[in-house]
Amino acid sequence: MTASAAAPWLQFICEVCGLIYDEAQGDPDCGLPAGTRFADIPDDWACPICGVGKAEFTPYTPADAVAVQPRRARPAAAPLRGGRAEAGVLIVGAGRAGWQVAQALRERDAAVPITVVCACAGDVYDKPQLSVAVARGTAIEGLVRESASTAARRLNVRLLHTTAAVRLDTATRTLRTTRGPLRWRHLVLAHGAEPALPAVLPPALVWRINDLATYTRLRAALASGPQRIAIIGAGMVGCELANDLALAGHSLTLLDAQTRPLSAQLPAAAGARLLQAWADLPIRFIGGVEVTGVTRQPEGGLAVLTVCGAEHAADHVIAATGLRTPGRLARSAGLAFDSGAGGINADAATGATSHPGIYALGDCAAVDGRVSRYIEPIARQARAIADAIVGIATAPAAVAALPPLLRVKTSSLPMTLTATRPPTDEGHWVTDSDDAQGLRMRRLAADGTLLATLVASAATPAAPLATGRATPTAR
Amino acid sequence: MIMAELQDAPLAAAPAAAPTPSLLDRVRAIAQGPLRAAADATDRGTYPREVLQSLGAAGAYAAHIGPGAEPGDYMAAIRAMTEVSRVCGASGFMVWCQQVCGLYMQQSGNPALTGERLLAHSSGARLGATGMSNPMKAYAGIETLLLRATPVPGGYRINGTLPWVSNLGPDHYAGVLAHVDDPQGAARELMFLLACDAPGVELRDCPSFSAMEGTNTWAIRCTDVFIAADAVLADPAQPYIARIRGAFVLLQTGFGLGVAQGAIDSMWRVEPQLGHVNGFLDDRPDDLQDELDALTARIEGLCATPLNTDREHLINVLDVRAHASELALRAAQSALLHAGARGYLLSSDVQRRVRESHFVAIVTPAIKHLRKEIARLSAPEMPA
Repeated sequence: MTASAAAPWLQFICEVCGLIYDEAQGDPDCGLPAGTRFADIPDDWACPICGVGKAEFTPYTPADAVAVQPRRARPAAAPLRGGRAEAGVLIVGAGRAGWQVAQALRERDAAVPITVVCACAGDVYDKPQLSVAVARGTAIEGLVRESASTAARRLNVRLLHTTAAVRLDTATRTLRTTRGPLRWRHLVLAHGAEPALPAVLPPALVWRINDLATYTRLRAALASGPQRIAIIGAGMVGCELANDLALAGHSLTLLDAQTRPLSAQLPAAAGARLLQAWADLPIRFIGGVEVTGVTRQPEGGLAVLTVCGAEHAADHVIAATGLRTPGRLARSAGLAFDSGAGGINADAATGATSHPGIYALGDCAAVDGRVSRYIEPIARQARAIADAIVGIATAPAAVAALPPLLRVKTSSLPMTLTATRPPTDEGHWVTDSDDAQGLRMRRLAADGTLLATLVASAATPAAPLATGRATPTAR
Repeated sequence: MIMAELQDAPLAAAPAAAPTPSLLDRVRAIAQGPLRAAADATDRGTYPREVLQSLGAAGAYAAHIGPGAEPGDYMAAIRAMTEVSRVCGASGFMVWCQQVCGLYMQQSGNPALTGERLLAHSSGARLGATGMSNPMKAYAGIETLLLRATPVPGGYRINGTLPWVSNLGPDHYAGVLAHVDDPQGAARELMFLLACDAPGVELRDCPSFSAMEGTNTWAIRCTDVFIAADAVLADPAQPYIARIRGAFVLLQTGFGLGVAQGAIDSMWRVEPQLGHVNGFLDDRPDDLQDELDALTARIEGLCATPLNTDREHLINVLDVRAHASELALRAAQSALLHAGARGYLLSSDVQRRVRESHFVAIVTPAIKHLRKEIARLSAPEMPA
């Protein structure tokens, strides 16, 4: 006791109720005089507030200088505190679609209160970059174009990030969230789509790359050196990721139910050219297989199982098996949902859903019976929604759909598909040239009408993303 | 109008449960009679044992218990709790304690805790409690488990202290959970029914709360308490908890709905004299009633599958519980503004309800806990 009396008095906090035991003060009510060291407290002493024992106390440092990050990036000058009188425009989602609507609204109306709610951090980045970052030498930090708080300040937006949107209540025009209920006058659904993971693939073992946060975690997991990566699904995202991760030195196994990569988008000849172009990269394509599961191996690592009984060993497995629009919010409001296309029905001219005052755009929206998971329509949709909200009639030309243009950013063989009309199964492919210079093909209708043109050429460098008319939102 | 809805809705929802309207009538008669008379004393510290047991005799603790492990009529149980909470939030909370303890016993599948034992419980002859606040917070990463179980021949030895367990008494019991310290076995938890009069159990007084003092809330200290197989609710407890978690939270909505309804009732009471000035307030009784009715209808929908463990269902259950808390807070607050000074009198149910609504919002799972859990359930699972 005497030896320790010189030592500074310590404090201990009850982890259950928050009571602080201060050695300097003791607990005179329970017979512990001031100056009783915590270690000298008898074991049958109990917390005077909640009654738990000594074991539930931990050392406490007053004013623990834990930097608390402000969650809401609220512009200091803006009178945008929550409240029923100030229900303005509420945007769900802070991907390209959400930020573009905020931008378009602010350009049209400097005063309208705008609130953005997003499950992510809200940072502004280009999602297509995620599947080409290695080839372009982009560091993770370089992917963020503008931080969430900077963008919120610039657009005078109240931002609630890392906030889950739970339910729409149309009677009270309230969005229930994990940060409390928010009222709206106009609601914009820009929450995107989520990776559709086949039921046989366990989510705890299989990556899906559709946002910066997950991609950052994947890159961290791959940072220790070359690893074996299996990618399930050889569509655009699967091929781009395989190409990019192979350039980073990893060994890729790319599996698909079809016998050629990109078979849903491109003719077989294009897939064959891509495999040739990959000859010098550590990419093994295994086509025509049905994946039945992924398991953890007893000796460590994972195995991708196929219906034919093969096991493909991997350190990491990525599923690139398509996207689907989460239906929770739309269902809660009874919004018309195109289950065939897989999106919330949105009017082509105004972005309006089936409920007045609610709009949808981007990956979550179905326009004219089709979902678009590409960058191209987003800016036009955002402008049309902003016009509708502030009451400007939009010129029809501004919303007319452009012919789809598809870029496959596989650096070994970049490909561009230019269509004259929305993609169909109609017509047949003819080859114009297939030589060392590359592959040129045309899709023709039965009457000879040109439907689409394909150019695949290693000689042609990929065009910069930002200038593309319809750069795919590769994930 | 509200009364008529309360009577009609269960009939429409569950035509098979014929006794539902009469259950509600019986509960309402108790609530408006002896319960109303005891509400003030219950707030200040008197445990309303007779009222609670008469509610049991009326069937308030049996509606949600179906045959075997089948769920009964959860909405009828919630409506009964709502009727009680409308008059006295503390008693409504104890109705939940008793109902959820019955759920623990029913779902245990333990012959020693079902059958006669469950019958005595669900009729209110015996009274029980739930000490699951700490485990629920532990599963959400908010606290650590406070009770430890050590395997011994024939059962377990329990040590530790659980704070703030309500509806206790010398002859009561509580469903609680302990971490099993078993160097040989796998890491697991044990859930069991702890008798308050078991050797080694000590009930310790807690400092006064601001409301609901008659809920017989104590800390339970366990010193080498022996638990045999006849008291085991689940071992291991995790799969069992996953199965009952939704029902546990769903039942709780009853006291939030009731406190909100009681507040709305009190607004209408002053409307003839004060309507001319109360019209300037936001959160008026008709708006609140619309919101409450819509929430009640949503809860009724979820009651169709109370033991559903599906993620979307759980998110909805957590959200209606959070909404009930938010609505109780807003309604109680607005009721005080509607009543003015007469509602601020210490003898007024209006100010008592403000304090009760605070309890609705902070009792496990608190609003913040619910939102944290919804956020966790909403985030996609990914490789570590």
